[in-house]
Amino acid sequence: MTANEEAVMWVEKYRPKTLDEVVDLKDIVESLKSFMRNPKTMPHLLLAGIPGTGKTTVALCIAHELFGQNWKTFTLELNASDERGIDTVRDRVKDFSRYSRAAFGNVPFALIILDECDQMTGPAQTALRRIMETSSRTSRFILICNQSGKIIEPIQSRCAIFRFSKLDRKAMIDQLCCIAGKEHVKLEPTAAERIVDYAEGDLRHAINTLQTAASYRDGIVDENTASLVTNEASPVQVQNMIKKALYDNFVDARKIMYDLMGSYGFSGSDIIRQMQRELFKMSILTPEQKADLSDIIGEYDYRLTQGANSDIQLSALLAQFAKVGKASGDTS
Amino acid sequence: MSQDLLWVEKYRPKKIAEVVGNEGAKTAFIDWFKNKRRTKKAVLLYGPPGVGKTTLVNAAANEFGFKVIEMNASDTRSEKAINAIAGPATSFVALDTFSSDAKGSVLFLDEVDGIAGNEDRGGVSAIIKIVENARVPIIMAANDPDLDKLRPLKKVCTLVRFQQVRIPLIIATLQRICQKENVKADFEALEQIAQNSRGDVRSAINDLQSLAERAKTLTLQDTMGLTYRNRDIGMDETLTTYFSAKSLQDASTVLSRSGVDYDDLLMAVGDNLPLRYQDPAALAKAYDFVSRADIYRGRIGVENWGLLRYFYNNLAQAGSVQPETYKPFKFIAPPIRIITLFWTKGKRTTLENICAKIGKRCHVSRKTAKEDFIPYIKLLMERQKANAVIAWLELSPEEIEFLQKINKF
Repeated sequence: MTANEEAVMWVEKYRPKTLDEVVDLKDIVESLKSFMRNPKTMPHLLLAGIPGTGKTTVALCIAHELFGQNWKTFTLELNASDERGIDTVRDRVKDFSRYSRAAFGNVPFALIILDECDQMTGPAQTALRRIMETSSRTSRFILICNQSGKIIEPIQSRCAIFRFSKLDRKAMIDQLCCIAGKEHVKLEPTAAERIVDYAEGDLRHAINTLQTAASYRDGIVDENTASLVTNEASPVQVQNMIKKALYDNFVDARKIMYDLMGSYGFSGSDIIRQMQRELFKMSILTPEQKADLSDIIGEYDYRLTQGANSDIQLSALLAQFAKVGKASGDTS
Repeated sequence: MSQDLLWVEKYRPKKIAEVVGNEGAKTAFIDWFKNKRRTKKAVLLYGPPGVGKTTLVNAAANEFGFKVIEMNASDTRSEKAINAIAGPATSFVALDTFSSDAKGSVLFLDEVDGIAGNEDRGGVSAIIKIVENARVPIIMAANDPDLDKLRPLKKVCTLVRFQQVRIPLIIATLQRICQKENVKADFEALEQIAQNSRGDVRSAINDLQSLAERAKTLTLQDTMGLTYRNRDIGMDETLTTYFSAKSLQDASTVLSRSGVDYDDLLMAVGDNLPLRYQDPAALAKAYDFVSRADIYRGRIGVENWGLLRYFYNNLAQAGSVQPETYKPFKFIAPPIRIITLFWTKGKRTTLENICAKIGKRCHVSRKTAKEDFIPYIKLLMERQKANAVIAWLELSPEEIEFLQKINKF
């Protein structure tokens, strides 16, 4: 390994290499370890749950435990969100899954990790289903998704399903403290609390926040720095867009929307999802207002799937926000 | 009898000299036509309808003894069709050259701006190929050469611009026809017809004929019934009339008359709504209709054209939410979306590349990289603490500079 290969993003550097190092997933880890004792008995796996809860980590741990140092040789790692079409399944997955690795000695099968499977198109999933069956002698699949409902039933029925729920606060705080200790960073307990609150059960978010915060004042992360980073790293533009639409100027809000689409290549549904998330963090709104606005977002999220132009639907959504903002301004 | 003939056909000039107006364009075109060593094998005549583009081509061919092979918008002009008809006609010197008086042929592609995107797939590129291989002169005519799809054509053509014909010239033409048809017309009446035509000789002659059918003497009074022609109206006029509509009916009418492509129209209306409606409630209501129109556009897809009327209904509603508040305003053009996406395409590619690098290192999708990693990496860069990360991700100097410059989202 060259120095360059040494991970420097803490999320990667402190990603567990073995199942034993994995935090807060006792039940899941125990079942998986029993598979590891006799790998041939391992079924295809479907790991489902919200982001940052350890699904990819667990899959990579399995690869490590099965193949050791050479895991990359026997593992095909694909992200279905990047390569979601049927061609990927037909070409890369099929080729990789087909051949027996028995000649390599202790290797029971090839491992195929498909991340963000719920982004796969229907036809791609259907193609996958056949491959899973025909290649079961030579390969195992680990499918990872946020919502198992988006995976077609025939695939679900071929897999052992493991559900990952929000990580426990305590376990997250412990993990942050552990990393801080190894990096010689003094993490104040209030700061750890603040970071974990903000991350909402997403450990990846929490660790990224910690690493960024540690760069602010050498060696110390206090509550102030933690708040600063959580603010700065949140989608300020999306919040701005919502505020402009509600209280200020529709045209400016729309300009931000176009900038998000243009510069960042966010799709309409990306922006809507972020709006939904940011809306609930905005302290200027009452819970009732949030509920009403959320309902409007929902309506346009649906329209987005029906319509032809996402910028038009988003403009219409922002116009609805402007109307609500004006009405609440008039009454108060 | 000659009575049955449309006057526009009956009095269509047979000679170049008879074509009224646009003297500069005429000279430019004839120079091109007569020049055997022309630098460009094709010419594109462009300008508003009814000013004599088609007429001039036919008159010139007639005078110089060429045979015109014409393809206009009524013919399918896909690549295949154009190659089938125009290909042979242009790459061989016609046999006629030897057997008759004709000196050869010219290929005349009228209304090239009518080459449709879908049905005439490959049409423009086929034309360009034919121009490159042609042995005979190629003449094209269009109303609007600035259309995106025609842009490649402009490179291979000599451009000749036609303008609206001046009112006095139209009046003179009408007077000449009146004389021949034994119609007595007041000067004011002819002036009104000419003005109403907006420089379109063809429509002026048509109007004259339809008025003369009713009475052999025309006074100004008779012309009052003339309305603007239901010609295909362009984007600016469509928007002006649409946004100033006094009722749903008005808005509907202008949409049904408009020659603007429905997708362009939807985009333009969406862009301009906030300038039209200042009141947030009205704006929200109008946008709701536009949103519904867009939903129908989505449902139409490429086949359910029957739904187009619901699309237009909703769009018309959006234009007539608050008729009483109309004040003229300057339209946003060209479309914001096109501008934004065009200018930022390079940016997005760079960003996607960076995200792919992050994705490979951190086992995440490009999308997760964009949303969950870029903001933190940017913060680290601001603190000058990102060098190790940058090296680990193997970002290029160009990508580093990009990350420094891009706004937070």
